[in-house]
Amino acid sequence: MNQPERNPLRRPVTRRDTLRVLAGSGAAAAAALTAGCGSKDERTTLRWWSPQASPDQLKAYKAQIAAFEAANPTIRVVFEATSDEGYPAQFATAFAARQLPNLVTHLPSFAAQQYYAEGLLEPVDDVIKAIGIDRYFAGANEVYRTSDKHYCATGIGNTAADMLWYRKDLLAAAGITAPPATWDELRSAARKMQRDGIYGAALPYGMNAMTSLIFIGFIHRAGGQVFSPDLQVAIDSQPTYDALAFFQSMREFCPTGASNFSWGESLTAFVSGSTATGIYSGRVLANVAAQNPAIADAIGCTTYPTMSRDIPAWTYNDFPCLLIPKGAPHLAETKAFAASLYQPQLYAQQMHAAPGHVLPVLRAVADDGFYRANPLITRYAAEVDLMTKAATAGHNLGQETAAHKPNLKANEIIASNAIAELVQRVVLNKENPKAAVAATAVRLAELMRA
Amino acid sequence: MTTRRPNLLASLIAWPLVLIIAFPLAWMLLTSIKPAAELFTRTPQWLPRSITFEHYTRVLTETPFLQYFGNSMILAISTTVLVILVSVLGAYSLVRFRYRGRETLAALVLFTYLLPSVVLISPLYLMLVKVGLANTLASLVAAYMSFALPYALWLLRSFMAGIPEDLESAAMVDGASRMGAFVDVVLPQALPGIISTALFTFILAWNEYLYALVLVNSDEARPLTTGVMNMLISAFNIEWSLLMAASVMMSIPLVILFAFFQRYLTSSFGAGGVKG
Amino acid sequence: MPDAAAARPPGAGALERRDALLGMALIAPTILVLGAVIVYPLLSAIYLSFFSIYTPTLEGHFVGLANYRDLLGSGGFWSALVTTAIWTVGTLTLQILVGVGMALLLHQNILFRSLARGLVLFPYFLSTVVAVLVWRWLFNDLYGILNQMLMNAGIIAAPVNWLGAMPNAMLSIMVVGAWKFFPFVVIAVLARLQTIPESLYEAARIDGAGPVSRFFDVTLPQLRDVLTIVILLRTVWDFKEFDLIYLMTGGGPVNGTRTLPLIVYNQAFGLNQMGMAAAYAVSMMLVMLVFMLAYLRRANARSEADSAA
Repeated sequence: MNQPERNPLRRPVTRRDTLRVLAGSGAAAAAALTAGCGSKDERTTLRWWSPQASPDQLKAYKAQIAAFEAANPTIRVVFEATSDEGYPAQFATAFAARQLPNLVTHLPSFAAQQYYAEGLLEPVDDVIKAIGIDRYFAGANEVYRTSDKHYCATGIGNTAADMLWYRKDLLAAAGITAPPATWDELRSAARKMQRDGIYGAALPYGMNAMTSLIFIGFIHRAGGQVFSPDLQVAIDSQPTYDALAFFQSMREFCPTGASNFSWGESLTAFVSGSTATGIYSGRVLANVAAQNPAIADAIGCTTYPTMSRDIPAWTYNDFPCLLIPKGAPHLAETKAFAASLYQPQLYAQQMHAAPGHVLPVLRAVADDGFYRANPLITRYAAEVDLMTKAATAGHNLGQETAAHKPNLKANEIIASNAIAELVQRVVLNKENPKAAVAATAVRLAELMRA
Repeated sequence: MTTRRPNLLASLIAWPLVLIIAFPLAWMLLTSIKPAAELFTRTPQWLPRSITFEHYTRVLTETPFLQYFGNSMILAISTTVLVILVSVLGAYSLVRFRYRGRETLAALVLFTYLLPSVVLISPLYLMLVKVGLANTLASLVAAYMSFALPYALWLLRSFMAGIPEDLESAAMVDGASRMGAFVDVVLPQALPGIISTALFTFILAWNEYLYALVLVNSDEARPLTTGVMNMLISAFNIEWSLLMAASVMMSIPLVILFAFFQRYLTSSFGAGGVKG
Repeated sequence: MPDAAAARPPGAGALERRDALLGMALIAPTILVLGAVIVYPLLSAIYLSFFSIYTPTLEGHFVGLANYRDLLGSGGFWSALVTTAIWTVGTLTLQILVGVGMALLLHQNILFRSLARGLVLFPYFLSTVVAVLVWRWLFNDLYGILNQMLMNAGIIAAPVNWLGAMPNAMLSIMVVGAWKFFPFVVIAVLARLQTIPESLYEAARIDGAGPVSRFFDVTLPQLRDVLTIVILLRTVWDFKEFDLIYLMTGGGPVNGTRTLPLIVYNQAFGLNQMGMAAAYAVSMMLVMLVFMLAYLRRANARSEADSAA
């Protein structure tokens, strides 16, 4: 077959040739193809799933696994990365087919509540006891309390996902002495700082989960709520209209493409220096250090401004948690492994893999010298402390305030994009807010009933 | 084309279009060799101010990229070989034989395409678990074969239908068996169709994401698509530099491979021996 | 379909029967694979559409036609159908036009042809997730190169919101969809072009036909079979396309690009309503079935008319 120009295939490929090639490759392929099934290892194998699996985080996980395996030679732990976007599909099929992992970390708290309510999770009371409930920040596990007085999961970290990030240099240049604390201050600061191609803010207006999650925060910062504490739809109230009006008024200070912003764009808008303020988690710190070191000294954060000074701050924390699916084998070993993840030094290393973004749930670790010795955490100690405190006191749609019952439909409400659609209809399409909010309320009620 | 002189006019029209089409690849390539600090400059720059290969090294050394690459290769090659085998025979059957229900079969085969694959995942997964194939590459091969067979069949059928029967009849008159004539006469002429079908199947198996996500969870059997995505893309953060490096490494070998194979699409293989 | 075995030796009844058996044996593996892998899930999905199913447990209760009633009466289905149709027709037209055009060009003896062919296939090789991420970056109004280049060239004055406004969003996904999938058309058409005998072109040239009429009188009729298949396949695939649109715009702005596959996925894994998702899927299937049958019938009639002529 080396000189195709010469004599086109006069010698036909004989059947024998073909069969020989096929037999050989068939055997090899069969071996390779069934590689995944059945481990030849006699040790007990535990499977650990998480959607947070960047190379740095993988290193930290490997260290934790190695430590546990060294102390427990009969157990082997395998880490398997899953995806933030795809985990509902993966879980649904895994549960339905009973092919469950032993342990799952970094899912939001409302996912844990939902699965627990469906009888798909083991309570983790034992794990929390093994770790020692006093070692957590006060009330850190309340968001995981279930109606049958158990804990459906425990926190593996905290994330203060909607802090106000600002550029100190741009604030100073605009003559603003203190970071904004109310919406009016934020708006006027954005207006003053918007020039020379730099926008004032990086709020999301896209048809995605970020818009829903962020906007829920704004409803609370206007003093409202999406549901009442006993989960009646409460979105049709004045604070929602205030929040919508604010979002609308900020549209001109956000980049043109903000109507398709999701997490990635919003983050990069601020990190790249294109906006004067941002709304994000501590992920900003690592990204600025890597992608735009020039502004590293000029960034700071605070809890996001509320509508007026008398409304308390409300921070969105998705409460990345650790949960144990029901029906997976080796429950005792799994619980032991789960507890071992909180061994202070290794746990701190896990935090270091995403500094400022995944914050510790253990008080001692947050104050610990080893944890704080991480270069980014040292440099931005004030910001990290602020975020740790804000996250611990944070909430999400799964439990909007400490007084709320757990909302087991939170995941589905976010997935339905009902709230993102509300924002888009009112802000982008300029539809009548009253009609849009009423329609959204109906939609939410349907989703709660389903 | 028998002329050896390069067609300059066609070149002048074709190449600008090719470059426009390949422009995102250029962007990916250039981004993958930029240091992270140059990713998002306020005015986007084409060319990197300094070149670094650290992202490639990181992907290759700090992640199971090579393992995923190997898995993808095995998966894609197995799927392609199996699909070609089955569909070549099937297409020949549809084109040269007469039996009851032939046309209905052909239509039914295409019918399997009409349901969106999302709703097929759960039942398929349950079935594979029962057969004991969960979490293996074999399960993906089975799934991808079912995606590829319908179009492979129809595409090959269309190619084979265009091959006149004269040569086969001549070969059979000379004493060759039906299948002998098939291998010696039809296959070589259908080669362009076979190669293009093989290409499509390979690409499908190489790039498919949703089924790979759900059907395979262990790194031993995980292919590149889900392996790379799960590691580098999460809700709050995308590791852009690593992702671009990984994507380049995922794509460029295929480009080279196919630039090589596209030779076999040329007419000297296809139409040899057939006059009008 | 063209009757392939036109010239059969007379009185070959036994031969035909044996041949028929061989024919069925040859298609058996296909039927086996598809039967084993696809038929059960397919029937399962249709069955599920009559239930209300909670996805993670796959448990639920029978609801008969309730899912279909809700679906057809909601309005969401119909507007999504229109959106899907617009998207499909738009991107398909681009794919076919650019695909055939590119195949014709790449069929010529151009400089560095192998490299050109490899590069043209590139969009099809790229994983959709990565492709969408790269395009979102290119389209970005802050740090995307596209707006930058257009502004430098003086074509636009300010960055364009490619994905967050209508009709830009729909046009953008059509173009990116065409970019991503047109190589399928190129490969199929190119392979077919290679098998068109040179003698046909000779004859046309001798008759005095110019390049344009040679294309319409020689090339296009020869391509008809392949194009029929390619258009059918691409229509079905484009209609079902999920990843590209979901990752690019999420169905937004509002519901400007919300196509049926997005709704199916959302129902199945977002809202955990597998039964409803199956109902949407079956409805999609019926739409495509109607199209496919009508299309095939027309294609058959055309080719029969041709062979009769």
